[in-house]
Amino acid sequence: MDEVLKLSPSEFIAVVNQTLDYAYDNVVLEGEVASFKVNQGKWVFFDVKDEVSSVSCFMSLYQLRMPLEDGMKVEVLGAPKITKWGKFSFTVRAVRPVGEGSLKKAYELLKKKLAFEGLFDNSRKREIPDKLNKIGVISSTAAAGYADFIKILNARWGGMKVEVAHTQVQGIEAPDQIIKAINYFNERSDVQVIAILRGGGSADDLSAFNDEKLVRAIAGSRIPIITGVGHEVDESLADLAADVRASTPSNAAEMLTGDRKVEMDRIESMVDKLNWALRQKVEVEEQKNLEKVERIAKGLLQKYIEPSLKANEEKMQRALQKILNDYDKMQSTLAQKIRLVEALNPEMVLSQGYAILAGKISPGSMIEITTHKQNISAEVKEIHERK
Amino acid sequence: MSENKLNLNQKIAELDKKVEWFYSEDFALENAVEKYKDAIKLAKDIEKDLKNLKNEIEVLSEDFSK
Repeated sequence: MDEVLKLSPSEFIAVVNQTLDYAYDNVVLEGEVASFKVNQGKWVFFDVKDEVSSVSCFMSLYQLRMPLEDGMKVEVLGAPKITKWGKFSFTVRAVRPVGEGSLKKAYELLKKKLAFEGLFDNSRKREIPDKLNKIGVISSTAAAGYADFIKILNARWGGMKVEVAHTQVQGIEAPDQIIKAINYFNERSDVQVIAILRGGGSADDLSAFNDEKLVRAIAGSRIPIITGVGHEVDESLADLAADVRASTPSNAAEMLTGDRKVEMDRIESMVDKLNWALRQKVEVEEQKNLEKVERIAKGLLQKYIEPSLKANEEKMQRALQKILNDYDKMQSTLAQKIRLVEALNPEMVLSQGYAILAGKISPGSMIEITTHKQNISAEVKEIHERK
Repeated sequence: MSENKLNLNQKIAELDKKVEWFYSEDFALENAVEKYKDAIKLAKDIEKDLKNLKNEIEVLSEDFSK
């Protein structure tokens, strides 16, 4: 008879668990959630079942990254274990919904919960700095979305430092890797913005971006985050929590950079502006100088020329006055002389009643007497001396 | 900081400042020619950078899967 293994229950359970660990360290179960419940606000119990079988699952609430409900299809990562009470259980390390319906359901439940907490509020959003010198990128360097981002970035702008954290961007491991990368940039780097990038994919591929812990890490990042995940129509909870959402990785590159061509045009227009300003300033200075010269000329005029003109004017006036005075004086003298001359005029004397006598004054001689109006011939009779 | 050591964005910001000086109350004709020459030189430098500068891309060695 073969040797029989004789063990205590504890030993047996330990051996079985060791064997299970060795054989099934990392198993992914896919099935439907049933009997979901949370105990003491800490422990999560549910079954994952298919049409025939059911596996009891156990995990901590902390590890639950998406809301679960009975009937949801999930993918569960973990390992089988026998409890000390001898019950079989699947210890879950991670769980995520799969299939369109479950993904949508989980998405809506978590969106409602996080929105209620204010994680998506616009008031929390920060602007991406205008001029970036250093940016952090979280993506898979093998992903098409990453290649698109780098291509557009290089085409549009230069001189930036880009630090790339290579992580998975889909699958059950992706959220934790992205969270580690966010923490890395926040704790150990001086990038001005973090871009989380992933190209298009199915709802299942993109479900990593609806992970609760990842969404919280994005909302809590010290450094502003821009997401460029999937296509325009794909809206993840990571997008809602990010400071800025770009529709695609290429769009993220566009939003983070200026355009070389546009900037070249701007520089040209700045040079034009500079030329214009200089020309205008020179013209203004010329005008100012002209005004200055005018002011100086006016000052000189007021200070020197005008007083001189005024003095001359007074002098002229005095001279004129003198001439006028002299003229008056002359006129008065002339009138006196005229009056004197007029007084000596014989006609004037005759008109006053006098007469002019002409001829020899001796008795018996004839004389001519002229009055104002008559000429008289007369004979001299007697001559008497006046007393 | 010397203009040669500035990055592209800093150079553009510096050019903005230089152009602004011409429109400010600090403008003085005595300094204008020198400032103008500086600005034009910087503008040419920026244009050269815009044509030739490449981004420096570094993939971090950190393993985020652990």
